[in-house]
Amino acid sequence: MNRAVRLPHTDRFFEARFESIGGLGAHAAGQVLATAAVLNLGLNGAHFSSYGSEKKGSLVRSFVRLGPGEQPIRTSTPVEAPDAVIVFHAVLLGNPGTFAGMRKDGVFIYNAQAGTIPAELAALPKTVRVVRVDALGIAVEENSRPNAVLLGTLCSQFPFLDAEVILAALCAEFAGKHPEAVAHNERAFRRGATEFEAIENVGRAEGDLPIAKPEPEWGYETQPAGGLLPAPGNMAWNDLSASRTGWLPVLHGDKCIHCGVCDLVCPDMCLVWGDGKEGGKFERELMGVDYRYCKGCLRCIESCPTGALTKDAETPGLADRLRVRLFPELIS
Amino acid sequence: MATEILSAPTKTEEAPTQGQARQKLEFRIGNEAAALAACDVGYHVMGYFPITPSTEVAENLSKMQAEGKHDIVLVAGDGEHGAAGICYGAALGGGRVLNATSSQGVLYALEQLPVQAGTRVPMVLNIAARAVSGPLDIRGDHSDIYYTLNTGWIILCARDPQAVYDMNFAAVKIGEHADVCLPVIVVYDGFFTSHQKRRIQVFDDPEALRGFLGTRPDLPTPLDTEHPATFGAYMNDPDLINNKVQLSQAMQAARRVIPEVFAELEALTGRSYPVMDAYRMEDAEEAVVLLNSAAETAKEAADELRAKGRKVGVLSPNVLRPFPAEEFREQLRGVKAVTIGDRADSYGAGGGNLSLEVRAAIQEDPANDTRVISRIYGLGGKDFYAADALAFFDLAGQVAASGKVAEPFAYHGATPGKPGRGARPGLPPIRAEEVSQPMAHVKRNVSTGRLDVELEPLWKMTAVPKRVSPGHGACPGCGAFPTLHQVYNALQGDVVVLFQTGCAMVVTTGYPNTAHRINYIHNLFQNGAATLSGLVEMYHERMRRGEVPESKDITFVMISGDGGMDIGMGPAIGAAIRNHRMMILEYDNQGYMNTGAQLSYSTPLGHRTATSEVGKKLPGKRYHHKDTAQIFAACHLPYVFTASEGYPEDLMRKVAKAQFYAKNEGLVYGKILSYCPLNWKVADDAGQPVLQAAIDSCFFPLYEIEHGHTTLTYDPDASDRRHPVSDWLGLMGKTKHLLKPDNAEIVAGIQAETDRRWARIKALHEHPLL
Ligand SMILES: Cc1ncc(C[n+]2csc(CCOP(=O)(O)OP(=O)(O)O)c2C)c(N)n1
Ligand code: SF4
Ligand code: SF4
Ligand code: SF4
Ligand SMILES: [Mg+2]
Repeated sequence: MNRAVRLPHTDRFFEARFESIGGLGAHAAGQVLATAAVLNLGLNGAHFSSYGSEKKGSLVRSFVRLGPGEQPIRTSTPVEAPDAVIVFHAVLLGNPGTFAGMRKDGVFIYNAQAGTIPAELAALPKTVRVVRVDALGIAVEENSRPNAVLLGTLCSQFPFLDAEVILAALCAEFAGKHPEAVAHNERAFRRGATEFEAIENVGRAEGDLPIAKPEPEWGYETQPAGGLLPAPGNMAWNDLSASRTGWLPVLHGDKCIHCGVCDLVCPDMCLVWGDGKEGGKFERELMGVDYRYCKGCLRCIESCPTGALTKDAETPGLADRLRVRLFPELIS
Repeated sequence: MATEILSAPTKTEEAPTQGQARQKLEFRIGNEAAALAACDVGYHVMGYFPITPSTEVAENLSKMQAEGKHDIVLVAGDGEHGAAGICYGAALGGGRVLNATSSQGVLYALEQLPVQAGTRVPMVLNIAARAVSGPLDIRGDHSDIYYTLNTGWIILCARDPQAVYDMNFAAVKIGEHADVCLPVIVVYDGFFTSHQKRRIQVFDDPEALRGFLGTRPDLPTPLDTEHPATFGAYMNDPDLINNKVQLSQAMQAARRVIPEVFAELEALTGRSYPVMDAYRMEDAEEAVVLLNSAAETAKEAADELRAKGRKVGVLSPNVLRPFPAEEFREQLRGVKAVTIGDRADSYGAGGGNLSLEVRAAIQEDPANDTRVISRIYGLGGKDFYAADALAFFDLAGQVAASGKVAEPFAYHGATPGKPGRGARPGLPPIRAEEVSQPMAHVKRNVSTGRLDVELEPLWKMTAVPKRVSPGHGACPGCGAFPTLHQVYNALQGDVVVLFQTGCAMVVTTGYPNTAHRINYIHNLFQNGAATLSGLVEMYHERMRRGEVPESKDITFVMISGDGGMDIGMGPAIGAAIRNHRMMILEYDNQGYMNTGAQLSYSTPLGHRTATSEVGKKLPGKRYHHKDTAQIFAACHLPYVFTASEGYPEDLMRKVAKAQFYAKNEGLVYGKILSYCPLNWKVADDAGQPVLQAAIDSCFFPLYEIEHGHTTLTYDPDASDRRHPVSDWLGLMGKTKHLLKPDNAEIVAGIQAETDRRWARIKALHEHPLL
């Protein structure tokens, strides 16, 4: 393929950072983008993702670095000062690292339904172009994945990322193993490229945002020797709500016989039990779900003999309204 | 946006080749580059065991094999020690042999490495370098590779995916050279190189490649029955020293051979690899020395400083063994000060190995006056940014100016920590009385001598405080946690657990957070059983000596995955034979899930995993699943059982018995079938039907063996629920290929083996003695 490509900057690489959660396809998105840029647009490029554990639901960052074809890429370090940030899940807006290093002339794309503008976006530079797209909604409608939609939106924002070339790479990625997915992904991609909303006047910050230098909580002067961790169960501070992908279990107390079956299959130990009401029928009662920990696997629903748990679509605020706390004195 | 420029287009078909061989452009990570090279070399055999971040070498080869792209025999070892043994045997057999590993895998294989070098058997080992445990860290540094420095293997350093590809060819040829005849390591940085996609050129010219590689020279082999020989005779003084002289001479010869081979390769590819990569060193007065990917980052910093007029350069050896001492002397002669960064410490030595060896090299040069600053950096995968390289140059600059080294050795980039900050507080400890209510009542049946168990109703168990907190990082729907939860429900009193490496361990402890509310130990999954048996013996001995109060009553439980019962089988059998008072509970999810779903010996025939791929040439795993429960039964333990989280009451009854036996008689083993939605490729909420189908098909019989007496605790025949295995296989993404007509024979094979094992268990169940 013979084409001349216009990169936005002459003096540095173009760098993109995908902020995501395992299972949403950020790694694949970065890979498709960089592969197409290198093999079909004649650019030089690098792509990699940050891995902790590779479980579904854990935080994933994917990085793409692109430069002119003749320029070597040497550094293998993560993208600190991105030209583009693509946020796969709105909960990640609550994480300051999501914005870190954002360039003042960059593009910030996030996945969310239309509606109120998240307050966190005020942290962005004034001059950044902010773009919202309902990637999950489109993906569900098109039987595709959010990454296809977000790639479409990204290409629409940077003319040098030739949408047809990137789309061809996306299709090629699936052509082998899932030929049936190609048409779905194409529609999702094209809708992502057009059905976005540019949000005006949200950023408040001046200039580039500072790059993040995350520090560990403990250091060599404070950390117990030998890696000892004298804090039993402190993972309970983690918030896993972001692992849910649109559904949550809802308890209907009237139907519950408090049998305890669901408790044995919940992998996340987030069903909240208490002693039954004085003089009541039950010695122990299921009071509800602590959605802070619920990953929405729905195994509890499958196990329930009475239909007391139902699968409900997670609308904004629903989990907060229904949540019953497991550790009310400790963890809000 | 700023000015736009036109980038020169590179046409895929016209890759910039200066070499004689035809090449093509690819965009690949280091592990893929290693796998592509392996495919091109056409090795005879690869022995391996999965470990992050090198696993993808075997995974990619499995994928390519399924597509019919090569016919390398891929053999999954029972651990890295076994894998190294497989490689050694295969290499003795006269063909070309490959392995790939990292970190603990290197250490676990280490014992075999000098054996292979000392007996002069060439092969190639790729190491995606990663921090060694403990504490366990999966990311990249050089602490594993430094352990290999004294093994007698040639070590080539590959700084990026292109070098990984190229050096894998050089490695074959260098190791097989008649004057060398040594095994060769190619080391590249874990994650930084192993997992980073870069543009690479690969051969598109099998002929040229064949010309370069030739065939493996004929070396003595035990397969040559016409010329009987003894391989590995036992050798003491005065002979051993002479064998080592030869090895040392081979290393010397490699100094000559390596540049020759690199030059030959360059003629084909146009890419050159000098033994010493010297960047902008011509007139450098200040330098940094770094290995692999960090050196590339430092080159960016050097450019920046050169632009400001500073005379700086970067040195980075492409070959670590034999050590390029002469090249260092040459390069450093005019340098006033050098900062040498080591991505691993030689604790107590005042520098990492690279730094110590460079110091030793230049002190032999009377003309050398270079000041040396040693720094440890980037441990456990800590990134090395251009800013870090600038700091290294600054150190060298200050020393060059002052002529004095204020701090010859230090760690760079560590965090002192702030008072008042630290891990988030834990949950309140679980009080003894909270777990003293039995949820299962165990009584010995006087007529049979076996135990009877009565469970409390399930709702009552909801009052048992959870010994694992929520907030862990397992995938939605993960079955390891219902398993754990059910196990803990049935256990009464104080419990001390040891988790072997695997999903359940990794997702419950990520420093500085833990989900464990009771005392928990991790040891690597090849040695947990031995470790726990040591703790058990100390407990009893300290109690006997009155150092632990008699009122204490601890139950010791080891939790392992099925993979841990492959690599850790030896120590587990050892603990079983010794009959320590503890239990080993295995959650069997039919694969090495923590590392991305490679086959374990418990993976059933035909199932798809990342190392038993499915394609026109490969229909999943090639051999039947391991019957671990029967292996432990043969150890004559007081109690062995199988169970599943899909049958909670059955499981909890067995765990209650297990606790009784583990406290009063000796070792208990239990194998528990646990759901893994991610890698079985099933919906998160389908655990119950899938487990049910596995059990109803009799693939996974539920039974127990109490003092040698086998009892089926669920008989699908009797309840008329028995289904063919295909009903189960049809439910999972990892097995759906099996239902295609082409694979009917495999399904028949699984059915036949299931029937055979089931009939045996039934016969055992029915026989009064068994
Ligand atoms: C000596 C050594 N080799 C390999 C590894 C990498 N490794 C860590 S966990 C694991 C797989 C564990 O499988 P299993 O025991 O079945 O537990 P699962 O992850 O499936 O829960 C592997 C291969 C290691 N940590 N140490
Ligand atoms: S399984 Fe259903 S009925 Fe039983 S406790 Fe749970 S929600 Fe209630
Ligand atoms: S969906 Fe149900 S079983 Fe799954 S985590 Fe949430 S409460 Fe637990
Ligand atoms: S990979 Fe499987 S076993 Fe591991 S956490 Fe995920 S679901 Fe559980
Ligand atoms: Mg496993």
